[in-house]
Amino acid sequence: MLTLMSELKKKYSEIMTTKENPLELIIDCIPHLREILEKTPDMLPVLKQAGVVDSGGAGFLILLEGLEREFNSRKIPEALSLFAALKINSVVKNLLVKRSLRKKRSDTGTLVQNLGVGNITNARLHNIVHNVQQYLKNRTHNHNNKYQAREALIKDTKEFESSWNPDIRYRYCTELTVSSDKNIDSQVLREQIIKHGDSLVISGRGNTYKIHIHTNKPDSVIKDISLFGNIIFRKVDDMKKQHRNFISYDSIEYEKEQSIFCIVSGEGFKKILQSLGADYVYDYGKRKPSVKKLVDLLNSLKSKNIIAAPDDGDILMSLKYAASLCKANVFIVESKNAISLISLLMGKTNEINKTNFLFSDRINNIKHFIVSKAAKKSSVDGVAVKNGDFFVIYNGKIILSGKTLKDVAAEAINKLLNDESIITIYKGLHVKGNNLAAGLKNKFPGLEFEEYYGGQTQYLYYLTLE
Amino acid sequence: MDKRILIISADNLGIGIDQVPYQHFEYLKYPVLIGEEEYRESETYSAKWLLERFIKEKIAAKSSSLSRAEMTNLIEKNVNNYDLIIQVVMGSNMSAATFNIAEEVKEKFRERIPVINIDSRQVTGGIGAVLLRLIDIIKTTDDVEGIKKQAEELVVNTFSYYVTPDLNYLYRGGRIGKAKALLGSVLRMLPVIGLMGDDPEGVVVPVGQGRTYKQVNSLIINSIREKMNEKKADKITISIISGDESNSEAINGLRQELVSSVPVEKLVTGKLHLVEAIYMGPGGYGITVCMK
Repeated sequence: MLTLMSELKKKYSEIMTTKENPLELIIDCIPHLREILEKTPDMLPVLKQAGVVDSGGAGFLILLEGLEREFNSRKIPEALSLFAALKINSVVKNLLVKRSLRKKRSDTGTLVQNLGVGNITNARLHNIVHNVQQYLKNRTHNHNNKYQAREALIKDTKEFESSWNPDIRYRYCTELTVSSDKNIDSQVLREQIIKHGDSLVISGRGNTYKIHIHTNKPDSVIKDISLFGNIIFRKVDDMKKQHRNFISYDSIEYEKEQSIFCIVSGEGFKKILQSLGADYVYDYGKRKPSVKKLVDLLNSLKSKNIIAAPDDGDILMSLKYAASLCKANVFIVESKNAISLISLLMGKTNEINKTNFLFSDRINNIKHFIVSKAAKKSSVDGVAVKNGDFFVIYNGKIILSGKTLKDVAAEAINKLLNDESIITIYKGLHVKGNNLAAGLKNKFPGLEFEEYYGGQTQYLYYLTLE
Repeated sequence: MDKRILIISADNLGIGIDQVPYQHFEYLKYPVLIGEEEYRESETYSAKWLLERFIKEKIAAKSSSLSRAEMTNLIEKNVNNYDLIIQVVMGSNMSAATFNIAEEVKEKFRERIPVINIDSRQVTGGIGAVLLRLIDIIKTTDDVEGIKKQAEELVVNTFSYYVTPDLNYLYRGGRIGKAKALLGSVLRMLPVIGLMGDDPEGVVVPVGQGRTYKQVNSLIINSIREKMNEKKADKITISIISGDESNSEAINGLRQELVSSVPVEKLVTGKLHLVEAIYMGPGGYGITVCMK
């Protein structure tokens, strides 16, 4: 990737005098970068051995191509800017205050009455303007009622105004309860954690204390506090997110306290995960979801807290970004395949609130390997794979390959089997009429075999040993 | 202990009657209905007998509440010989009828003898554990209010976990509660359900599920450890393990994992009775832990 970036810089320098628009210059560099990408196997022997180009470089090129497409084709929807929202609110507030002071009437009243409230996408401001318009329209109020209504509306506008606070220095409101067998010295506790932020409040006595702190490093706070005893309660709220939600352009009515959201490839896995208790499973098929898609999905769950888990490590970055943009508190489980999602849900308890932090430990509970078919000749990790061969991936590495599917699967089972008794086979989308379970059962009569349809696009089979 | 205290319970304790170390103990037998026929626990009609019929004949069975007349007669027979009667009753949310009968009978004898009805919030081994700990309590006090208070603490610190390979036995009996969420899995699963003494609803809850007995046993032990952490308990005072004897390998596995993972003061290997087999189904087993 660094090679392509360096080439972009060189090429850009060469042609930068030909055009004024930097975007056009970048786009003009793309054909040159494509040529360089094709040459990357000659630059790095391991790429040549595997018969691939540099994936980071390819990704960088896709990014540039995406920029071109995005800026050339996309019409960005209009939204009310924060500045505009605050300005409208200010105009409305001033109007009400002036009327309260019985000042001379201006044209502002007419302006506010004619504001297109339907175009105000900010839900809170929408309500304020709507109520003010109703107030201005309604001439039938008696004096007392009118006074009270006006005061209430002024209060609303002031609250809206004060909701904007760009200066949150420490982002995470962190609350913990620590308990120990021995008495805890609260002064030592205070000295240990005061360095992590502000708004520190410590309450309690003896061997149990509650701690509240605003910090940018909740993990460090948790680590330091755990030196004093067992942490029996913890809560971390992102105040920037809370704040943004408060003044955001739309509002979400939460319907659930917590949801489990899985992102997976394969209709079969979707059904399996749903039946294991996932609240929503998104089957992305072949195309991994965009950040926008993920934000939409997360918001559509209408859940205050969401545990989100993908079946592919490549989705994690988009998911993390989507989590930062969506309304809910999102706890991301860094799962990397469909089997870890099954493992996660099997360990689900009815008290998931308290065990959020344990979920990550639960994703690697099921021993499994992947069987796939080579589309080209390669040699990785000392294992030679011929075109058309089946090969086995275990713990992210190719461990063996061979001509026939059954033999490859059997060899992998032989190699990995300890005291497991059930082998479960999850068949991919592209497997046609092959009953692998029956074939393997003949080779391992002492083991139990079950076969399910996973529908995954990337690999032929997942096999688990339990 | 100056007072003469009689303890009454039923044949759904998760332990054999001979495993109750208290001389003044009486119990009632739950009626079990298979079709039109009524059965009671006996040498012939045992849990093993019913579980075999489930597998071979695919029969359906259900239980009925305890007989009011039998409970009244039992107390009548003993009323003059004791100063206090304590009834350890199945969870009122699991069988409201039985608990109501116990309350009615208590009221009936109000003028003649004090009766404490303990709502165990449990079934099978859970009731057994409450009973065994209660026996320890009455060795230290015979004060009615003191016993009530300690029994309440006991109940909220008693937790049961059951592996029920086929949840339909529980479902048909109308006792599945929140564990309904574990029904309908695409994968063949072993569900783990629980009765948590600190849950005022007192209904069956889902604990998790696994594909193998090894997995579900680990899940149960982890849940117990989490509960101990939450309750700040450093040991289990009493644990009862019981289940379908044909699944002894899984039951032994659970016992071994328990003793190697957490300190247990007293571990009792119990047995299932006829009425308990109805809901547990073939292969089912459970563990109760008391942290008080």
